[in-house]
Amino acid sequence: MKIEGVFTVAVPRANVWRYITDPEVMGLCIPGCDSIEVTGPNTYLASVRIKLGPIKTKFNLEVEVIEEVEPDFVISRTRGEEGSRASMVSADNVLRLSDADSGGTEIYYSSEVAIVGRLGKYGHGVMKKIAKKLCDKFAEDFRKRVENGETV
Amino acid sequence: MGVSLHKPETIEEAVRLKSEDSEALFLAGGQTLIAMMNAELVEPPALISLDRISDLKGIDRQPDGAIRIGAMTSHADIASSDQLIDAHAVIGEAARVIAHPAIRTLGTIGGAVSHGDPNADYPAALVAADARFEVVGPGGRREIAAADFFLDYMTTELQENELLKAVILPPAPDRSAGHYEKFSRVDGDFATASVAVTLLLDGASKIDWIRIAVGASGPTPVRVPAAEQSLQGSDMGAAAVAEAAEQIAAACDPLDDVRGSSDYRRLLIPRLVAKAVTITKSLAEA
Amino acid sequence: MTSTQAFDLKINGEVRQVRADGATTLLEVLRQQLGLNGAKCGCNQGICGACNVLLDGKAVRSCLVIAAMAIDREIETIEGLEQDGELSPMQQAFLDTGAVQCGFCMPGMVLSATALARENPKAGVEEIRDAISGNLCRCSGYVKVVDAVRRVTGA
Repeated sequence: MKIEGVFTVAVPRANVWRYITDPEVMGLCIPGCDSIEVTGPNTYLASVRIKLGPIKTKFNLEVEVIEEVEPDFVISRTRGEEGSRASMVSADNVLRLSDADSGGTEIYYSSEVAIVGRLGKYGHGVMKKIAKKLCDKFAEDFRKRVENGETV
Repeated sequence: MGVSLHKPETIEEAVRLKSEDSEALFLAGGQTLIAMMNAELVEPPALISLDRISDLKGIDRQPDGAIRIGAMTSHADIASSDQLIDAHAVIGEAARVIAHPAIRTLGTIGGAVSHGDPNADYPAALVAADARFEVVGPGGRREIAAADFFLDYMTTELQENELLKAVILPPAPDRSAGHYEKFSRVDGDFATASVAVTLLLDGASKIDWIRIAVGASGPTPVRVPAAEQSLQGSDMGAAAVAEAAEQIAAACDPLDDVRGSSDYRRLLIPRLVAKAVTITKSLAEA
Repeated sequence: MTSTQAFDLKINGEVRQVRADGATTLLEVLRQQLGLNGAKCGCNQGICGACNVLLDGKAVRSCLVIAAMAIDREIETIEGLEQDGELSPMQQAFLDTGAVQCGFCMPGMVLSATALARENPKAGVEEIRDAISGNLCRCSGYVKVVDAVRRVTGA
């Protein structure tokens, strides 16, 4: 399923780039993210908890940055599983920054997500809406943090 | 090892058991919960069955004309009840089209409402009926309006350790009418979209009041009071109905899935609203 | 009741003992412990009806009944319809009309029809269709199934 969106922050692109490539900032803005650690020059390991109504999930996600061009875009791949629950997720992600007319930065994100296992049987229509809502929350938290110049 | 099963005989006992282990889940009819357990989507350490609590079953007419439906009343009993007439008929009609006969035998209104799936049939019908929910928990008893109860996909106002005790329908005036119009791919499926309507006609056959709630078209049932007000006092000509229907459709946020693309649903919703209100008006005139 | 325990279930008029915890379904117990394999696991989600059994005379999804919740209830499975080596009228009608193809859905289908005929001995075609609406058949197209039930109800 494809999840994509765009949002604007009132901060120049170079600054946004620093935040968006800082795993600690990202970890704080991703809803449900318990922890994020750098495991290599281009890889991270994140633990994320998501609630879908009464369904509780905890994912261990490996993120690998495939390509990045400062301050334009990041292409990454996510692979994750739910531990013993045999639900696996993989996503191909694109993050693109461009200058907004207002002087700030327009951030475009797109993720092609595949889920197999117990969550693969769950209604994709609802999951997509919930995922979009989490992305909107991320955008809001990220914007606040970046516009307030909060460093970690 | 193994999942425990409790069978309390009073509400107080059920609430106490839940307070002792908040990971335990209440088991109503099981038609959704056990399916989720079979799919390994939830894995509770214990189940608290509400089946033995007689206080939770039955449909009773109150002295003021309100109808009280116990949370553990089955869809089959609600569908076949002769107590749900006039505007209350919207609830009986919704119950009649839930899933299949075998599901309706065991499934309960309390279980369905507590699950809070906007794609199910009761939520829109209960919002259109202006229902209230009686809820009990460790903190005592409270009542929640249907309009305030459904918050998001599978998310309701129910706090942890609370359980739904009864659904209360306000008195339905004589000559009021209620109708539930469901559009689905096949009988028994979840709705691609559904519309629940209750209304009262005045002496001149014009709309005194009307409530329209759209189901399966967003994270919660959708009601647009301004659209309802635009129909008040009208004789529901095609143009007025179409405009109200478009206004309501604009407030919907339908899913994109196997039951219909969001584009398809956006075309469907205003037509279904117009159909539902027209049918309800003729039920009131009959 | 805590965790796995032994208890009695009344199935086809007989008392049978089973062992189950609070998450074990009636379908699992019928197939894995009692050798009553007529009820089939089709979807395990309550949609297909292949697992239908009768509980106090009403068709229910055995995959959505916790076995321990069926204590003190009358359970009937397809195996119980036969009396003294003779198929029930409904079973015979299904054979006579050629309604049975692969047979996978048939135990659930016959039980739904049986429950209908008991409650409404003169059920008409629409009522028959309603009663079997929760039993999915991938082979037959349902026409001969309806014909079979019509033979019994006289519709």
